Amino acid sequence: MMGNLVKAESRKIITTKSWWILLIPSVAFALAFALFWGAITNDLNDYLGSSDARELAGLLGISLGELPVGLLALAHGVNIGTIFPIIFGVFALAGEYSKKTITTTFLTAPNRGSALTAKMLTYIGFGAIYGLVIVGAASLGTVLTVDERGLPTAGQWLGVLGAGILATVLATLFGIGVGAVWNSVVGSVITLTIWMLIVENVLVFVSFGWLDITWLGGVLPNGTLNGIVGAIGAEAFGAAGLSVPGELDEDLQWLLQYTAGAPGAFAWWVSAAIFLAWTMVFFLAGWAANQRRDIT
Amino acid sequence: MHDGSGRIAVQNLTKRFGAVAAVQNLSFTVEPGSVTGFLGPNGAGKTTTLRMLLGLVTPTSGAATINGRPHHQLGNPARVVGAVLENEGFHPKRTARNHLRVYASAIGVPDRRADELLGLVGLSSAADRKAGEYSLGMRQRLALATALLGDPQVLVLDEPANGLDPEGIAWLRSFLRSFAQQGRTVLVSSHLLSEVEQTIDQVVIISAGMTRYYGPLEQLRQSQTSRVLVQPADAGELVKALQEAGFTQLEPTPDGRVAVSGATVKEIGDLAAKAGIAVYGMQEDRADLERLFFQLTAGQFSTGQAPYGQQPPPGAWAPPPGYQPPQPGHPGYQGQQGYPPPPQGYQQPQGQQQGWGGQA
Repeated sequence: MMGNLVKAESRKIITTKSWWILLIPSVAFALAFALFWGAITNDLNDYLGSSDARELAGLLGISLGELPVGLLALAHGVNIGTIFPIIFGVFALAGEYSKKTITTTFLTAPNRGSALTAKMLTYIGFGAIYGLVIVGAASLGTVLTVDERGLPTAGQWLGVLGAGILATVLATLFGIGVGAVWNSVVGSVITLTIWMLIVENVLVFVSFGWLDITWLGGVLPNGTLNGIVGAIGAEAFGAAGLSVPGELDEDLQWLLQYTAGAPGAFAWWVSAAIFLAWTMVFFLAGWAANQRRDIT
Repeated sequence: MHDGSGRIAVQNLTKRFGAVAAVQNLSFTVEPGSVTGFLGPNGAGKTTTLRMLLGLVTPTSGAATINGRPHHQLGNPARVVGAVLENEGFHPKRTARNHLRVYASAIGVPDRRADELLGLVGLSSAADRKAGEYSLGMRQRLALATALLGDPQVLVLDEPANGLDPEGIAWLRSFLRSFAQQGRTVLVSSHLLSEVEQTIDQVVIISAGMTRYYGPLEQLRQSQTSRVLVQPADAGELVKALQEAGFTQLEPTPDGRVAVSGATVKEIGDLAAKAGIAVYGMQEDRADLERLFFQLTAGQFSTGQAPYGQQPPPGAWAPPPGYQPPQPGHPGYQGQQGYPPPPQGYQQPQGQQQGWGGQA
């Protein structure tokens, strides 16, 4: 039964265009951001190799000028890309409401819970496709711009791939949840985009600059979503996670995390756990709303 | 699991949207093997009732079941009940064939079922066109095809004739009849009795969220006594003579004639002759169902107008004291007595397709 419903949900996705139309900006932005940050990070490596950041390098036991700064480019590429699987997720349920196809969907499923479960399973699969494509585009941008000495190891790259897929899967479910709660495609997409790209960044900056709060980016949705991949880069420099060297200046740590696209981030798995909690909050609220909502 | 009976049961069903009671304590059953009309004016609560039956709207109280179960306990519900609903959506960019294939896979029927049904509803040649390019009538056909995907035992249709051309309506009628003749259940809603009169055997009439009548259509038809329309020289004298003879179900018609219920042409003719009143014409008028339907359902509207029958047309006779408008005598009748006030702008239905002019 669930297999039938997952097949139906997959057919719904592939018989309309939005899933591949949204892949286009995913690729374009992931590539562009990786290219941009890749070009900058070479300079960062040059700066670290020649400047007074020796203390940091000494603490981490890394040869100066040979930090895997490519991870930063990768992280920024993947992070900007995750906004599109969120939008894709919004369409899952809110889109059915706006097109009024939700009626037939509920009439052909044993109950609403099974219809939503089938959606969740199907969108996990498509979220993973977004992850693969986005990490691929970010990787391309990285190898095109970052000098060989700054490229991550194969192990680090696999870590980014895994974290990137996890991030886009969770991002998709987050989008489904917000769409299910709010029930409006346009409202959800606009609000989420503004929140993820602007509002939360301003909050994190303001709270760091004026209130000296460093952890805010580590708990809010955009910060935690970005932290899943960004923390890998930041961790490589010892600026995130549990292995933070005690002597590393807190402000420098935050700056390095910010450069990695994850200001205030904890370890990648902590970021993933917190973002999963955000996803669950919206997903469960959306689930509850849909069990009760009258379809008129 | 459900009992496979094909029976629809609505029991004490109530739905409130905030302060508005859309449906109030509605009860009726629909048996398999027949086409049941679900009738009432727009806004009477038909759509809300059908949506509660289909699990799309949660009742405030009471129950609506198919095969003894609420919709969410039917297992694979599309195998039991198919529905054609108003306001039903199709993704405008998805082709008709893809639309049917999506839901064919959800139900678990093979893809060729989609093509079979496109053929049945006459959309084969438009199968690869996007639903957004469809006309209203084509969308109704596609909705019917979707409802039939799971080869259901019960079919529920909400105002299915909307947007269909006369040919389509005729086709739908014969389809629903043959569907019911296979021992299946059909419940079809309409705000126009004339639209479904030829299709249905049973009827549920609701108004203002309440049941007004349910039972066989034939019984409803017989409950309406026939009238004789008399055109006398002196209406007042004739009414007096009739009343003295014990015929009290009298009513003026808009064209100045007297409508007499419960009397034969012969009785009236004899009486008129005895009283010395010239009669220029008499016509037996089997009151149509549409009129009865209007009587049963008009209670939901209140206007400042005097009730029909107490408002003589210009130049006509005034009803004498003791004049009683006819009262439907059928036991199934639950509506208010006498002629309720007509809605604002109401015109006596004339043609088959005439509805309630100007009423929302």
